Amino acid sequence: MISFFTLLERELYRFGRLAAQTIAPPFVTTALFIVIFGYSLGQKIGAIAGFPYILFILPGLSGMSIITNSFSNSSSSLYMARMDRSIENILVAPISSFRIVLSFVVGGIVRGLTVGIVTMLTAYIMTDLTIHNIPLALLFVILISTIFSALGVIAALWGNDWEHLAAFSTFILAPLSYLGGTFYSIATLPPLWKKVSLSNPMYYMVDGYRSAILGHSDVSLTIALAFSSGLACITFLCAVFLFKKGYRIIV
Amino acid sequence: MEAAISINKLSKTYKKTEALKSLSLEIPMGEFFGLLGPNGAGKTTLIKTIVGLARPTSGSILVFGQNIQDYPLKTKAVIGLSPQEQNIDRYFTVRKILEFQGGYFGLRHKERRQKAEELLGKFNLTDKVDEEFWKLSGGMQRRVMIARSLMASPKILILDEPTAGIDVEQRHELWDFLKNLNRDGTTIILTTHYIDEAEYLCERVAIIDAGQIVEMGFPKELIKKHCEQYFLVNGEKKKDLMGLTVDQVQVHQGDLEQVFIKLTGKKLESA
Repeated sequence: MISFFTLLERELYRFGRLAAQTIAPPFVTTALFIVIFGYSLGQKIGAIAGFPYILFILPGLSGMSIITNSFSNSSSSLYMARMDRSIENILVAPISSFRIVLSFVVGGIVRGLTVGIVTMLTAYIMTDLTIHNIPLALLFVILISTIFSALGVIAALWGNDWEHLAAFSTFILAPLSYLGGTFYSIATLPPLWKKVSLSNPMYYMVDGYRSAILGHSDVSLTIALAFSSGLACITFLCAVFLFKKGYRIIV
Repeated sequence: MEAAISINKLSKTYKKTEALKSLSLEIPMGEFFGLLGPNGAGKTTLIKTIVGLARPTSGSILVFGQNIQDYPLKTKAVIGLSPQEQNIDRYFTVRKILEFQGGYFGLRHKERRQKAEELLGKFNLTDKVDEEFWKLSGGMQRRVMIARSLMASPKILILDEPTAGIDVEQRHELWDFLKNLNRDGTTIILTTHYIDEAEYLCERVAIIDAGQIVEMGFPKELIKKHCEQYFLVNGEKKKDLMGLTVDQVQVHQGDLEQVFIKLTGKKLESA
């Protein structure tokens, strides 16, 4: 286990040196969204499911920051390690693929939790937010971070330049996030778009997270929890599988 | 004596390129072994295969009797590698690089710190401990790489061009250090472009060309086998010295470089 904790320490040391880059952006983004959607546009949109618009979208905004940060943490760490070949130094050490991937993913989870806490604290200070179920909210943060950290590992193995990683963010993560119920309730959608949203895996995570924070959800909490847990397991195991096969890291 | 590394009919093919062709080699425990070969001969592929960065197409590698593919973690645990190309987190400090390395090999915090301090002292890097790697000179960076490979006190040390970029004085200090390390029982595998380095350090050398070992043995034996040895007396080659005085004689023994050129057709410096 010493090797795993050392890898984790390395991950935390890496992003700890860039703490301002981790904490400042979610704080600024959340504050701006609160100003725009809470104090300005939100007044005109009205309540959704009995919540002021800004409160309704806060879990989605927080979720999006968690997704972006956990993904970029693991993907940039592993991709940089591939580029500067430091991954080779880890590969020649007596550490299993499972533990190596786990360290990258846990690094992403820690960053996801940090971002989740920062966004919620910002919201707590600037709005009337009271979190409905804190342990459940933390569980969703961990599940969401696991899924996107593992996807970050997969993207870093697959990508052969920074553009590939950017493409992954732009063409996969962003559409899934924006169409995942961040800004709207499924109840307000026409039938076709309702089906589209329900086929988006991100929807269940955002909805579950919203349920933990506001106590309101469109789909059953059990389904959201089961879906997020299942997806976390699948993405993590896929990342381990690819790493163990040495996909683009062992010739 | 038990073999530290035993390679049997090892082949490695990249797409259509055969980098290693049924290569067999046995390195006994405690030996200082040299690998010489021109660029693209297969030296780095061989090293990468031993440490698990390349998968053999066929054949096997045993480390202290254990197959590296069946027991990858056990075999990796006894090997230290200082590669030719930098594979390091360039923005980490020297201390972090060494201590993390110790952790990867299972050393506890206190042990890592002690070992790092010991190696920093041996490699004259103590005052650079909190410098980031990229800020160091080329020679210092090379010494950090070698120190890193020694963090876990490996039983087998693989050094790929360890003295490239190191000045003459430090090179000789490193030679002495490696000699002592080998004397204490560490098996060392060295690739180098410096022929004097191979002759001075290695008990046996193998010359690799086009993925195969073309010759292997003790440097003196190889020189005797492949080089014409004679006394040069007033420009004339002679096999004996009957009746001549010292000032009339030049000795031509040959060296490992001539063996290399004869077998590969290339000069070592340009290889």
